[in-house]
Amino acid sequence: MPSTQNPPIAGAAVDPPSVRPALDDAAIERVAPAELRARLEALKSDGYAMLLDLGAVDYLSRKPRFDVVYHLLKLAPKPAPVAEVGRPARVRVLCGIDEGDRLPSVMDLWKSADWAEREVFDLFGIVFEGHIDLRRIQMPHDWVGYPLRKDYPMRGPARERSPRPAFAGKSNVVAGTPPSGRTFEALQEEVKRARES
Amino acid sequence: MSVYAKPLSADIVSRTDNTMVLSMGPQHPSTHGVLQIVLEIDSENVVKADPEIGYLHTGIEKTAEGLFWTQAQTAIERMDYLAPESNSLCYALAVERLLGITDRIPPRAQVVRVLIAELTRIASHCVWLGTHGIDLGAISVFFYCFDLRENILDFQEAAGGARMHPNYVRIGGLNGDLPDGSLPRLDALIAKFPGRMRELRGLLQANPIFQDRTIDVGYLSPDDAIQYGVTGPSLRGSGVAYDVRRAYPYCGYETYDFDVPTRVEGDAYARFLVRLDEMEQSMRIVEQARRRLDTPGPVMIDDTKVALPPKETIALSMEALIHHFKVISEGFRVPPGDVYQSVEGPRGELGYYIVSNGDNRPYRVRTRPPSLYNLQALKCIAPGNLIADLVVMIGSLDPVFGEVDR
Repeated sequence: MPSTQNPPIAGAAVDPPSVRPALDDAAIERVAPAELRARLEALKSDGYAMLLDLGAVDYLSRKPRFDVVYHLLKLAPKPAPVAEVGRPARVRVLCGIDEGDRLPSVMDLWKSADWAEREVFDLFGIVFEGHIDLRRIQMPHDWVGYPLRKDYPMRGPARERSPRPAFAGKSNVVAGTPPSGRTFEALQEEVKRARES
Repeated sequence: MSVYAKPLSADIVSRTDNTMVLSMGPQHPSTHGVLQIVLEIDSENVVKADPEIGYLHTGIEKTAEGLFWTQAQTAIERMDYLAPESNSLCYALAVERLLGITDRIPPRAQVVRVLIAELTRIASHCVWLGTHGIDLGAISVFFYCFDLRENILDFQEAAGGARMHPNYVRIGGLNGDLPDGSLPRLDALIAKFPGRMRELRGLLQANPIFQDRTIDVGYLSPDDAIQYGVTGPSLRGSGVAYDVRRAYPYCGYETYDFDVPTRVEGDAYARFLVRLDEMEQSMRIVEQARRRLDTPGPVMIDDTKVALPPKETIALSMEALIHHFKVISEGFRVPPGDVYQSVEGPRGELGYYIVSNGDNRPYRVRTRPPSLYNLQALKCIAPGNLIADLVVMIGSLDPVFGEVDR
């Protein structure tokens, strides 16, 4: 949706994850969308019991455009003392995906993916195949556009100004045609139409 | 449709005939914010619960992309408004990793960060305990809790200048050293705390009404907790001793002596006990940090490319003036890369996945909000319980909606 007042933010020319690997203690993997599901299943059976987070990044000018990022945590799925939980392992799986392409849902592997995938769908417009309930979650259900995309204006799309009729009905306003050329009656008509539509 | 209404979840639409759909919230007083729960009920029993969130969505992640690295911190601090400094701390740690200055943060700054983080945890748990009590009809607990919280907020206000969002933790260190007179104030707080904790425990822990309402209510098995990504006290109440302070220490947490309270019962009462124990453990850390505060030292990194130069040098040195002008007017650039950093917030693992493209603004700030994932577990623990117990379950998961909706 184009905007007259808020230009979109410029896209990054580089792909940061490939520039400087391993700033934190997570292992980083990059997989193609076709192999994503198999790789995540393998990681799950390897003991990565918790999907910590699932997010996305929009590299506007890059091909493929988006990165979907899975943060996994290795944890024993049973009550365990501190020493056993000890030092768990983290892995970060990045998956590049282009606009309009679909990714397999991992909701059946980790239930925490439910809301996370809905949020990525809501704010980036990435569709997860196999998610049973892919609705908008943060934005109103009838919202148009995907706010966290880089080509979405920072202050939202330009909107029509709503008419403000209240001043015209006040007694201290001189009767007759106001400088704007719109009469009180015309304004009231406008408001009525706006309310009805 | 002119009225704002969200479509129902698919499994509630396909309900059977002998149940009805009831919408609880978003204006319900015991949902601790704007949470709507679409319930499918069979008389008074919950068959399915589908929390609807997003009523408080403010686009903080998008806002942060348009601000300088330091400015973004003020916006981010407003996510978890009950524990603002844990957001600040996590963000600062992440940006410091991107800048490669993690090892150069002054030790005194790290001690004060730990101190502030733990005080914030106690203050946040005070709000949780007070409101949890009110939900169950125990009004007076609230006043005791807020009295304790008030002392902590006073301390924060003295240090950072504001009660709620002091923005005290900065990239590279702290806004400033603790002011004169804050150590006696802290000592008084430490001395007051055990007695106040005894009172709080006395009011609720052995209270038969409170026990009846919380024991065996909202059982969350360790498997489900991990499946739903639950972290923090709610996970430890189910017997999994995962604590970021232990697993991935930051700010020198490995040098402090503290326990990770864990219960295996997995019900609302277990989560209540874990949080109470956690408050005491936090105070243990605060006491240890207090002892390390006797040695003075710098609290901000000695690098004027990131930190503002000391005020007194600005009038005397041209370089200092230039650096001050540059940092204020265009911020600083952060080398490109991505990083995931997490801290143990009062509600669980609070994480930031930050991407920089080498600019003076963050390219992407993705939050891992503990409340969002904890709240999602409500879908798992609510079915089979009474509607009245839903209030207990929400309270025992301790969601903060600034963070759930962001």
